[in-house]
Amino acid sequence: MAGKLVVPGETISEGKKPGLHAYSEEGKLRSTVVGLADEKGSRVIALKGKYMPQPGDWVIGVVQSVKYAGNDVDIKCPYPGFILSKMTKTEFALGDVVAAQVEKIDEAKRIDLKTPKRLLGGEILEVSSVKVPRIIGKRNSMLDTIMKGSGSEILVGRNGRIWLKGGNIALAVRAILMVEREAHTSGLTDRVAEFMKKESGDTKG
Amino acid sequence: MVGGATTKELMVDGKRLDGRALDELRPVKITASVLNNADGSAYIEWGKNKVIAGVFGPRPCHPKRMMDPYRAIIKSRYRLAPFSTSDHGRAGPNRRSIELSKVIREAFESRVLLEQFPQTMIELTVEVLEADGGTRCASLVAASVALADAGIPMKDLVSAVAVGKINDQIALDLTGVEDNYGDSDIPFALAGRNKELMLFQMDGVLTKEQINQALDMGTKACEKVHQLQVEALKRVYESKKQEVEAKED
Repeated sequence: MAGKLVVPGETISEGKKPGLHAYSEEGKLRSTVVGLADEKGSRVIALKGKYMPQPGDWVIGVVQSVKYAGNDVDIKCPYPGFILSKMTKTEFALGDVVAAQVEKIDEAKRIDLKTPKRLLGGEILEVSSVKVPRIIGKRNSMLDTIMKGSGSEILVGRNGRIWLKGGNIALAVRAILMVEREAHTSGLTDRVAEFMKKESGDTKG
Repeated sequence: MVGGATTKELMVDGKRLDGRALDELRPVKITASVLNNADGSAYIEWGKNKVIAGVFGPRPCHPKRMMDPYRAIIKSRYRLAPFSTSDHGRAGPNRRSIELSKVIREAFESRVLLEQFPQTMIELTVEVLEADGGTRCASLVAASVALADAGIPMKDLVSAVAVGKINDQIALDLTGVEDNYGDSDIPFALAGRNKELMLFQMDGVLTKEQINQALDMGTKACEKVHQLQVEALKRVYESKKQEVEAKED
């Protein structure tokens, strides 16, 4: 992957407009996290860290509380998400696993979720949220490879929770963990495809 | 130290007891990402000091009354293990560990971008497994790497070192014996980027010139420590990369 490995306080480039995970000081842009900096750009892609919701993200959460107005949902970030019961016909119970989209997040970090769907059955895998783009891949390439190889139905939440159902789940989990481990290296999709081919062949034979 | 002499010869033939020159650091080894369950962690071996640091968070603040509506709070805990010194210590918090928890927390409060995570807390735990002088500096250095390893946004890494006076000479990075029998001890911490002071403590009597000399000596050493911190953080990812590349060949 392109980009220079930087640590907090390290200079990324000359410039004044800081992007994500960067700040400007005396005409220089510096990183605030351990991550990969684009030499031309002004932002840093974090290699670790907690998930922060963005409007439009699909997340997978666990219902934490049932109130009259709605449900608090643990979405693996420092703040709970909230499903307004007015917005949905489904009634959720404690411990339900839901997939929902982030509608908005305000300055007090209240997170509103919309279009919640209850997920029934299946298994949940937790990975680091910064690795999610890699697990999905360019135009779903990585996820398609894993789904085709294992035959599982996979739903990836932007918050690092992955829901898997059916097919060879063990194989899918191993492939996803492999992507998580090697996320910062190049040529990964090809290696995963090879891995899926080899491993699924082994179980048959 | 129990009983014994109150003075001790700390310099032999112009060298210190462990053979170091006056402006020489003890060997420092830092490893980042050593714990699986913590969000971020680091282990440091600084001479005979062995310190492990772990970071959790940001996560919802408990107890709620400590919550700050505008920024995250840092909860720091420094613990000197009972088996870390030559005399078996008592377990549990004491005056010293409360003080060190406080100075470690305050060193990071201005460096971590707390405003990005209102109403949350960041938990920072430092365990000293073996102590031989300068544990607060080693703890700060390890905690700094652990915070960065947890992906918590901060302006800077904080590096620290102790400078002291033994035999009327300014010396860098005092060991336990030098600290006990020496004349003065100044642990201090600097921000890696612009050398702002993050911690400054001192005991003993020093002249203005001696303090300036000590600060100069310490600043140079802090730069070296900072370099080691950066290397430790980068090594985590570079070693993984090499592993994968080796597998491909």
